[in-house]
Amino acid sequence: MSSSAIEADTSDLVCQLDNVQGIVDALSTVRWKRHQDAVVELSEHGVVLIVEETGCLQAKVYLQKELFIRYEYTAQGRPRFGLSLGLFVDCLNTFSVPGHSSTIEIRYPGPDMQLLIKSADSLDDCIYAEIRTRIPETISWDYNFEPAGSTPLSFTVKSAALKEAIDDLEWPGSSIQIILKPVPPSVTFRGEGHGDLQIDFMYYANTDLLIAFHCDHQVSYRYKYKFLRATTSNIPSSVTKDNRGSKLTIGRGGMLKVQHLVSVARPSTSHQHIDSAGYQQPSRIAYIEFFVKPEEDEDTVND
Amino acid sequence: MKFKAFVTENGVSLLDRRFLPALDKMGKICHLFLTREHAFFLHNLLTTSDGIQSIAQFRKQALFDDYRISSQNEDRIAFAFDISLLLRAVRSSVSIISSESGGANRLQVKLVKKLPPNSTQPMPFLTFETKGYKSAVIQDVPISKPLSRDQLLQLQAALDAAQDLPQTLVQVPDLNRLQNFVDRMKHVGDLLNVSISKYGDLHLQISTTLITLGAEFRKLLVVGDKAQAPDEDRDLSAQTRSERAILMGDAQNVQVSVRHFSKSLQCHLAKPDCAFYGIAPQGACLTVIFQFFIPGTRQTDKSISLHCRLPVLDPGSS
Repeated sequence: MSSSAIEADTSDLVCQLDNVQGIVDALSTVRWKRHQDAVVELSEHGVVLIVEETGCLQAKVYLQKELFIRYEYTAQGRPRFGLSLGLFVDCLNTFSVPGHSSTIEIRYPGPDMQLLIKSADSLDDCIYAEIRTRIPETISWDYNFEPAGSTPLSFTVKSAALKEAIDDLEWPGSSIQIILKPVPPSVTFRGEGHGDLQIDFMYYANTDLLIAFHCDHQVSYRYKYKFLRATTSNIPSSVTKDNRGSKLTIGRGGMLKVQHLVSVARPSTSHQHIDSAGYQQPSRIAYIEFFVKPEEDEDTVND
Repeated sequence: MKFKAFVTENGVSLLDRRFLPALDKMGKICHLFLTREHAFFLHNLLTTSDGIQSIAQFRKQALFDDYRISSQNEDRIAFAFDISLLLRAVRSSVSIISSESGGANRLQVKLVKKLPPNSTQPMPFLTFETKGYKSAVIQDVPISKPLSRDQLLQLQAALDAAQDLPQTLVQVPDLNRLQNFVDRMKHVGDLLNVSISKYGDLHLQISTTLITLGAEFRKLLVVGDKAQAPDEDRDLSAQTRSERAILMGDAQNVQVSVRHFSKSLQCHLAKPDCAFYGIAPQGACLTVIFQFFIPGTRQTDKSISLHCRLPVLDPGSS
């Protein structure tokens, strides 16, 4: 980390952010096991981080450039690199000071293709990190998500309720059937294994839980419990505190898309930081997407 | 061998709310070393282990009054005990003292030998006795057999050896913040490089094959050997700055366990007024010294002292 003026010329990306905890939350959402390799893709629109599990599960975190207080992108093409997700999250976490809004600067690539991070708050104290990156492996399976028909098959449910339902299904385990029915409009999660468990969300009965519902014909697909669980196991507490919803869409072939919204707003320092103009920070959201492949199952009914 | 004393009100609050909770974090087993003038709580001084050594020293007046001690080893007694048991005994004595009105309650502590239930062999205990107007409560904390003359001399020698001061000490700016940072750093690696310069720089770094993570605190208050930081250092990275300072003989560098470092920061539970880090001569250990002020002043309270010595895993450059 020599003088920043020199490096600015050679870096593909120099960005700064003022809410480290928000980014840690967003990235932790896709951290479903201890050792995970992630691929990071940089572009003029922002940063995308992709993790996947043996061709059955893929997750993406979209950090749009609006989430950063400074975003200088000068690369040609879209640089991609691989790194350990766990290490990246643990490392970013050391920059986050509870009750403090800390500003950090992220720069790529360093002289040895590292990802460079440093705190940008004070001149006398400095935290810095260099994370070794790898040449990324090619994504093994294409998660092109296509709508199942002319009307989307989707529903939006309170993230907390979704997480609770999936946690409860741990007991039957193994494979979980998701059934969408237009009449009466409802979503059913059904687990069979060590006993049966069925959780119904009725659209008209639970409008506070099931916020939106679109379905014109009944569909039913099975998903491996462990992949379904990965989509909600690390939802940050800020999501449930903000009472946000998660959107689930079933695409062609039963591919399930799960979307969460994680706030990356500056921690509210309201009493010391009210703008005289009454300016409110526009909501800064990181988008999280999971794609889960259905189990190939002979008795799936789709009419 | 006899020991008997009353724990003062101030002594109870020092032990109960500050020192015992802090020392409990240093390790389960602790030695209490009593002399005519002082009481020491010592961790890992006898066991030549790789553990963190902590030395808490109290002048007898800081904890006790009516202090009586006698033994054949120049009135010195030492024994080991489980610190969490002592903490529990002191805690419940506090609740008895505060629940009984009147103020005639005093907490007496003495060394006794008793026959425990279902045993034929008398065992040593440190007994806490609280006497009120209406009731008396006695609590026995089991302790080890008092140390033999040889062991006692060994302990005294280890204690004397642990008193050497680093030549340069830097004051830690914010213990809580540093603790927070180091606790998060623990996830990234196990070995922590610590370098301390005469310019007042404290540089912590974890370096593995996958990641380098560090923190540099500059312009800290220096006690002992000082030097002026070279002007051309200003625009360098933290790493380069430390390396140059070490080359010029203005800084020392040691490697310690992150776990030990984090433990040493737990001493903030004893509510010290400030803390200093320094590297002992020849890089023998990383020392942290906690300072306590006389309440309401900025003067050091010489009747209380606490310091820890962290074993060095790699002699580093020193």
